[in-house]
Amino acid sequence: MIATISANPTHATPPTKLGRKVRFRIKRCEGPGKPSTWNTYTVTIDQKGANVISCLQQIAANPVTVEGTRTTPVVWDSGCLEEVCGACTMVINGKVRQSCSALIDHLAPNEGDEISLEPMSKFPVIRDLSVDRQRMFHNLARLKAWVPIDGTYALGGGPKESPEAQETRYALSTCMTCGCCLEACPQFNLETDASKWDSSFVGAQAISQARLFNMHETGKELAPARLDALMGPGGVSDCGNSQNCVKVCPKHIPLTESIAAVGRAVTLHAITKFFRG
Amino acid sequence: MATKHTDFPNHFLLRRLHSLTGVVPTGIFLITHLLTNSSVAWGNLDSRAKEYGHPGVATFQHEVNFIHSIPYLLIVEVFGLWLPIAFHSILGFYYALSGKSNVSAYAYQDNWRYTLQRISGYLGILFIFYHIATLRWGWTFLIPGGTQWDHNYAASTLAMALQGGGDGMTAAGLAVSAFYFIGVSLLVFHFANGLWTAAITWGITISVPAQKRWGVMCAGLGVALMAMAWASVIGYARLDVTAARQTEQRMLDGKSKPASSADNPAQTSSALPAR
Repeated sequence: MIATISANPTHATPPTKLGRKVRFRIKRCEGPGKPSTWNTYTVTIDQKGANVISCLQQIAANPVTVEGTRTTPVVWDSGCLEEVCGACTMVINGKVRQSCSALIDHLAPNEGDEISLEPMSKFPVIRDLSVDRQRMFHNLARLKAWVPIDGTYALGGGPKESPEAQETRYALSTCMTCGCCLEACPQFNLETDASKWDSSFVGAQAISQARLFNMHETGKELAPARLDALMGPGGVSDCGNSQNCVKVCPKHIPLTESIAAVGRAVTLHAITKFFRG
Repeated sequence: MATKHTDFPNHFLLRRLHSLTGVVPTGIFLITHLLTNSSVAWGNLDSRAKEYGHPGVATFQHEVNFIHSIPYLLIVEVFGLWLPIAFHSILGFYYALSGKSNVSAYAYQDNWRYTLQRISGYLGILFIFYHIATLRWGWTFLIPGGTQWDHNYAASTLAMALQGGGDGMTAAGLAVSAFYFIGVSLLVFHFANGLWTAAITWGITISVPAQKRWGVMCAGLGVALMAMAWASVIGYARLDVTAARQTEQRMLDGKSKPASSADNPAQTSSALPAR
C-alpha cells in the first residue's frame, strides 16, 4: 500500500538530472494586508528526491533572485515532511497540494523548468507562503467535532463497532486539516473577519469531521447539536456540488460522500424536528 | 461556538424549498411543456390528426385546447408556476452570488457543470421572463413583427413570434429563434444537472457509484428533453405559417380538410383573420 501514499502514484519518477537548475517563481507578501509581489530564484538540484521544501531551504540559505537582488528569506510553514500534518500546503503551479510531497523530478524534470509557488488564497497570509489556518479549527469547534468525555471516571470498554463502520470512519479520520478541499472549493471564500466565520460556508473538511464524530458510538451524543449547526447559515446546504474537494484531497477522503451523508442526516433531522418539536 | 438555530427566515428551509421548487413543480412542468411543444414534430406520427391538414399543428392545437380546458387556469399558473419559478429564480440568483468559479485552475468536469449551472440559471431567468412576457402576458412590443400569441391559433402565432412575422424568417426572427434555442438548451441542462445535485443535497444518493448511476439517468433524461427542445424550436422556426393557420381554422370551425383540396396558401390566405 506504500504506492497509494505517494502524491502521484500513477506517475513514474523521471530519472534525476543532477546539477540542473530549476527556477522558482514565488509570490511574496511582507505581512497581513500588505500587497503581493513576485520573486524568481534559481535552485541547483544536487540530490535525488528533492522536493519543494528542500528547495525552499536552499533559497532561504541564499535568497538572491535571478536579477541578482538579495531579498529576505522566503517564509513557509512545514512540520512532518511526510504528508500527514498538512502544514506545508500551498498552491504549486496553480493547484493546491502539500509542498513536502511535491517532488522536483515530477514538477521540473529538465534544466530551466519553472515552478510557481503561492500561498493558499482562502486563508489570511501571515507572510509569504505561510497562512493562518485558524478558521478550520474554528469550524471544527463550530460543529462540535469531538467525542464528549469529561475524563472524571472510567468509561469501560466502550460500545462494539462493526468492521464496516470502522473502515468508513478510518478513511474520514485521516483528515489532517490541510485546507486543500477548501482552497479548491468555489463556495468557500477568504474571510478575514472572524466574526463572520460562523455564518460563512463551513466547507468539506468540517462537514466530513462532523460525519466522523456522528458515526462514533460515544460521539453520537452530540449529533443533534452538530446537525443543528449544519442546518444554519453556512451549513451543509451551502455546498454547490462542484466536487472539487474530493479531487484535490491528498488523503483521498470521500468528501462528497460525507457531504451527501450529512445531507441525508439533516433531511431526517429536520423531519424529526418538524413532527416531534 | 455552534450557532443556535434561530435564524429567520429559516436558512435550511429556504435552501431546501429552493431545491424542491427546481424539481416540483418547475422541472415537472418543463417535461410536460416540452412534450406539448414538440408535438409539432411527434404529432406528425399521429394519423388521427391528419384530417385537419398539418398533423403536427393539429396535435399541438389539441394539446393547447386541453390546457385551456383546465379549470382555474390562472390560479394554477400563478401558484403552480409563476410564484415557484420566481422563488427559485430570485433565491438561486442570490445564492449563486456567494460562489466564485475557479474552472481555470480546477478544470474538472464536475466543476464545469457547477459553473454552467450558474450561467444557465442567470440566462434562463432572462429567457423565461422574455418567453412569458411576450407569449403569455402579451408584451408584443418585445416581439419583432408584434405577433400576439393566440391559443386558438397556437402553432401559427408561435411560429410568427419566432420568425419575426408571418412572411417567412426575418433577421430579427432568426435572433429570436436563436435566443430560444440557446435559452431552452441551457434550461434543459439546468434541470438535468439540478436533478443530479438535488439527489446529493437531500441525501438520496450518497456513495460515488450511486451518484454515478443517478448521473447516467439524469443525463439520459437531459438528452431526451434536449431532443424535444430542439425539435420544438426548429419545428416552429421552420413552420409554414399559412398552412398552419388553415389547419387551425378548420379545427376551430370543426371542419375536416376537404378530400380534394391541397393546402394552397394563395387560395386561402385571405381567410386569415386580421390580427
